[in-house]
Amino acid sequence: MARRTSDADVDARTDSEGPLGTASAAGTVTPEAVLDRLDRVTDPELDRSIVELEYIDEIAIDGPELFVRFVLPTAWCSPTFAWMMATGIREESEKLAGVEETEVELIDHMHTAEINAGVNDGKQFEDAFEDATEGIEETRKSLDRKARLARQYRAVEALLDVGLKPEQIVSLTPADVGVADLPEDGRAIETDTDNPDEDTGDLTITLAEGTLYVRVPREPIAAYLAKAIDTDLVTSADDALFATPDGEAIGEEQFDLVHHRTRAASVNQSGQGGVCASLHEARYGGESEELDEPAD
Amino acid sequence: MYRQDGEDVFVIDGHIHLWDASEENVIHEGGEQFIQCFYDYHTAFTPEERQWDLETYRQYGPEKLKSDLFGSGHVDMGIFQPTYLSEFYEDGFNTTEDNAELAEQHPERFVLNGSFDPRNGEEGLEYLRELKETYDIPGVKLYTAEWNGDSKGWRLDSEDAFEFLQECVDLGITNINAHKGPTIRPLNRDAFDVADIDDAATSFPELNFVVNHIGMPRLDDFTWIAAQEPNVYGGLAVVAPLALSRPRKFGEIMGELLFWLGEDRILFGSDYGLWEPEWVIEAIMDHELTPEQREEYGVEFDIETKKKVLGENAAELYDIDIEEKKRQFESDEVSEEFGLGEHYASEAAAD
Repeated sequence: MARRTSDADVDARTDSEGPLGTASAAGTVTPEAVLDRLDRVTDPELDRSIVELEYIDEIAIDGPELFVRFVLPTAWCSPTFAWMMATGIREESEKLAGVEETEVELIDHMHTAEINAGVNDGKQFEDAFEDATEGIEETRKSLDRKARLARQYRAVEALLDVGLKPEQIVSLTPADVGVADLPEDGRAIETDTDNPDEDTGDLTITLAEGTLYVRVPREPIAAYLAKAIDTDLVTSADDALFATPDGEAIGEEQFDLVHHRTRAASVNQSGQGGVCASLHEARYGGESEELDEPAD
Repeated sequence: MYRQDGEDVFVIDGHIHLWDASEENVIHEGGEQFIQCFYDYHTAFTPEERQWDLETYRQYGPEKLKSDLFGSGHVDMGIFQPTYLSEFYEDGFNTTEDNAELAEQHPERFVLNGSFDPRNGEEGLEYLRELKETYDIPGVKLYTAEWNGDSKGWRLDSEDAFEFLQECVDLGITNINAHKGPTIRPLNRDAFDVADIDDAATSFPELNFVVNHIGMPRLDDFTWIAAQEPNVYGGLAVVAPLALSRPRKFGEIMGELLFWLGEDRILFGSDYGLWEPEWVIEAIMDHELTPEQREEYGVEFDIETKKKVLGENAAELYDIDIEEKKRQFESDEVSEEFGLGEHYASEAAAD
């Protein structure tokens, strides 16, 4: 339950990226700010925000202490994925100005005990689970790789839609799509869409050594580049933007095959999303749980 | 037999079970979790008026199976896919021996597959030979995430597994059905990863590898492997119900399968008792790709393709003569029990 929030210590913490989240004028953390921050945590298999997927069940704020409860579509969702989401909730919310510590609670899952105790105690996955034989990094990489492919499909579709040719697409670089300086955190590119100067939602691509300009919807390109940066596929503004599933440069003759493979990754992701959504609806109904309003 | 627009569609359900998850049979919490997980899938995808209660779901028995498949379910033949789970269930969950009781009563209606676990070594090989000897099994169903002692799973491309696959070749067991579905167990190693199929299929070209649940959620990895390995097939169990609840997504998945594998390597399976085949088959038969999907993939999911997916492709794999079966089913016991003789005797086109 939401409790009256304390005025203390709210402005004491800032992140290296600057103050994050929206502390209100009175210096309190709001549930909206928490949700906004948690929007960055994704279901790693579906590459979609856990807020959008309605996994967040409750947010309670008690001074600098935050409590977040979440649910998953079934009690059998991979414990590895559940762990990633639980740690993601904790890490992201603790970056909010005004939050000292977050307690995460996963409910209705076969591994609530291990996950809740493990994540809140800051343990490693392989230490929290008796049966675990290895960490989760390989799984995370493999899911990230798939997410990158599905995003590549949507980005390349957008470029094909505005008339770019395969040979132009395979040679694009971040600089060509207007990103001359790569941020450390790929998400900075995605969130930049909030910039009021970008109100058309388009970006301009420079081709043929600056003699040709093409406008293309910004969202799919930015979402792709963010993931490409975060997976270390793209490390410089002059790197090729797109790559094969193995992370290699795409030869012009490979364009169709690579594009079809990324399409399969996208269909896989949305198909699995359909399965999860059906399970989620059967379990919790079609409506999201009410979030607690802040006390005042 | 399903009848649509003057055409008979002979249905071979490529994935059925006769399981026992009764409370008396559960000996490990994993067994209870397993059936509860199945039941979640049941309630998520089955239309409300067709849902079973949990008691029925735990153990539905052979009579209900026959009725749900042949009586009301449009199914002409069923292929048993055993799932042992011996660490979880006292007498196993759905063993070859359990399935055999019914299959031997109506051998014309069922195909009985066996199973192996390469971690059982020489004893396991002996069991496989026994299954061949006793039941003349044409295939095996493999569950790579099954627990066994300290092991929480195994891979088809392991040395031990290859020894068993070679034994299958030697014994003439040709259809290798691997469960590759949603991730539940083990915790972090992905025991349903499809990559091991690649090496196994290349190394044993004389065997057919049916990837059940088309590797979901690894459809992209599966289609890429299957595109390169002509002896790899996709089984639709669990994906098929999407035809009713998420027809657009089902269309995209069919588009991918038809694009990468073609129409000859896709096999229908209801996954009975996950749900009844009746509404699943009706949803597939009524399904149409959208014009955008047809254009994107350059494929058709028309009546000819559906006939292949629902029966002809499995008939090819298991050496079933559909026309001969139709004649036989004019007067077999199952047809008599459910009054189906007329159905097989009359040609749809003559109606």
